[in-house]
Amino acid sequence: MNHDPFHWGRPNQETYGTYNYNIAQASNQQHESQLDDFPKMHTQQPIITGTSVVSLKFKDGIIIAADNLGSYGSLLRFNNLERLIKVGDETVVGISGDISDLQQLERILAQLEIEEEIYDSDGGHKLRAPHVHEYLSKILYNRRSKMDPLWNAVIVGGFNEDGTPFLKYVDLLGVTYGSSTLATGFGSHLAVPLLRQLIPNDIDYTKVEEEDARKVLENCMRVLFYRDARAADKYSLVTIKSQTSESGSKQITFNHEKELKVENQSWKFAKDISGYGSKQL
Amino acid sequence: MSDPSSINGGSALAMVGKECIAIACDLRLGNQSLGLSNNFEKLFQFGDKTFLGLTGLATDVLTLSETFRFKNNLYELREERSIEPSTLANLVSSTLYEKRFGPYFVGPIVAGLNSKTNEPFICGFDSIGCIDFAKDFIVSGTASDQLYGMCESLYEPGLEPEDLFETISQALLNAVDRDALSGWGAVVYLVTKDKVTKRVLRTRQD
Amino acid sequence: MRTTVASEYSAEVHHVPIEHRFNPYSDNGGTVLGIAGEDFAVLAGDTRQVEGYSIHTRYQPKVFDVGDDIIMTANGFAADGVALIDRFRNQLKWYKFDHGGKKLNIKSAARYIQHLLYGKRFFPYYVHTIIAGLDEDGKGAVYSYDPVGSYEREQCRAGGAAASLIMPFLDNQVNFKNQYEPGTDGKKKKDLRYLKLEEVLELVRDAFSSATERHIYVGDGLELLIVTKEGVRTEYYPLKRD
Repeated sequence: MNHDPFHWGRPNQETYGTYNYNIAQASNQQHESQLDDFPKMHTQQPIITGTSVVSLKFKDGIIIAADNLGSYGSLLRFNNLERLIKVGDETVVGISGDISDLQQLERILAQLEIEEEIYDSDGGHKLRAPHVHEYLSKILYNRRSKMDPLWNAVIVGGFNEDGTPFLKYVDLLGVTYGSSTLATGFGSHLAVPLLRQLIPNDIDYTKVEEEDARKVLENCMRVLFYRDARAADKYSLVTIKSQTSESGSKQITFNHEKELKVENQSWKFAKDISGYGSKQL
Repeated sequence: MSDPSSINGGSALAMVGKECIAIACDLRLGNQSLGLSNNFEKLFQFGDKTFLGLTGLATDVLTLSETFRFKNNLYELREERSIEPSTLANLVSSTLYEKRFGPYFVGPIVAGLNSKTNEPFICGFDSIGCIDFAKDFIVSGTASDQLYGMCESLYEPGLEPEDLFETISQALLNAVDRDALSGWGAVVYLVTKDKVTKRVLRTRQD
Repeated sequence: MRTTVASEYSAEVHHVPIEHRFNPYSDNGGTVLGIAGEDFAVLAGDTRQVEGYSIHTRYQPKVFDVGDDIIMTANGFAADGVALIDRFRNQLKWYKFDHGGKKLNIKSAARYIQHLLYGKRFFPYYVHTIIAGLDEDGKGAVYSYDPVGSYEREQCRAGGAAASLIMPFLDNQVNFKNQYEPGTDGKKKKDLRYLKLEEVLELVRDAFSSATERHIYVGDGLELLIVTKEGVRTEYYPLKRD
């Protein structure tokens, strides 16, 4: 037996002559027209990148933040990128990773919004965060299955059908998970412990006020700026709240703040750090 | 699987009971998936109430068992008494660390009773001599994952000798039955303050 | 050809450039366990999801009621697990449309899942799949699969990160392996019998708390789905979070 897997199940060469690739839809021989073509390229690595997205749930909604930096390796290539994207009326998508793939996702999400408006002409359906997340996760999983991934980690925030806050993650592999405290990249190491200090158990978000959530998130952005070399001190922040008005109806507010600055920076610790640079001990 | 510590296969286990200890091992010696011997004991006695178990690469098991027999003989000649379990533990540790950058591929365990106080002592090591002092049980060998699962669920502190025997036997037997490289017989030594009992267990032969 | 030194730490010399290629898989940890009883079946899984040394979430369910009193889990690479279960759910839905809402029995579900898995034989779903339910006679049934669709009906099965810790415990406590009647000098095996639901739940909780103790990929919470002739119900127990 020929042990090369490509020859499994094929007629014996000694008996039947060389294998005819034109029968049986044999696909492992390249089509003639493709032979001279440049090989089809798949994404092998991210080029311009955005670092962590940090988010958490609170009593009546979610908060999410991401800085405005686009890095080209260690070069600070862009400094006014917006990585928090509004989808529909009450959903935000925070994207880290490759920026060109981010813009591709931006176009895909815009298309989703348009289609939702067209096909739901009677307004009977509302595009919510769970739908956006499901859609994105299928896109990312399908691309990874083609070995041509969109090089991103994404957090989707908004509300469920029943009005409870929704926060879920999906990345370039199509891996998804939900939690009351979520962060991508460096944030999962540096920010999540700070967030979990405020929300130790997943359900504890129901006891968290917006101000406290915001304070912790601002602190996360500060810590990330201190220790993540690819982070900036200029960032955007989205707060989505669901409040019950006096008449009893639910009112959702979507607040997108831009060009925020990491406040109260203290570099006092820097003088105690030694042994890394040229300074002699 | 060219990992030296899983070529020959084999597992060992020690447990602490009430004023007693038990130490057990399987009897298999193999070359990868081929079984060679069903009579390869991996436990070695030092003095009256101290045992050393050696799993891993069989050649190192034999070399080290002879090294420790030699070192123990010198110890007994000089000290005119038998070695304490905790002393043996430190001897094992320093002997292994001597070969820090070209280690013996073994996973030793030590179990015994103190000669004066009869206090139980068990411990385990990595291949370069880091000691793991445990109060309950020590596992080692190619079935260590399975042994951890068994011991963590069957073990309870303060067992009487016969109950300890049943616990360690069940833990070992069921663990090695889920490991292709361990089994082919098993032995258990039960050490109490005035007697050492050796029992050979009947096991599956596949 | 230029030689490449992997790093200064290892002196390993490669004679071909190191290939750096997108890896479409990851290990998201977790462990699962299914046990069949006389008139019930349980499928349990921990709720921790990890990647490397990071705990991504402490509560992400991975055992699901997929309909027709069948419960299912696919443990390993989380994205493949979700994709497989979604595909099965979807096919079950179409089966019902095509056959006037006929109930799919677990034997057929089991065979169908083999085809879902084998269909991706050359780019496998990186998961250990287990389903549980009741068979045509109302007896508990557990079916378990390898990543490419080999499957078997069993009384019990552990899968995932801590399978090697839990499986020998199950052999011992569910199938009474290595247990003999006292006083028979090891001549008579302990008789097999069906375990009661309470006994099974006790075993499952012991198995998971033991695995949690010794495996870093297991912990946070235990979610149990139980199928009886009354339907599917869920129970949750906390596990250690360290």
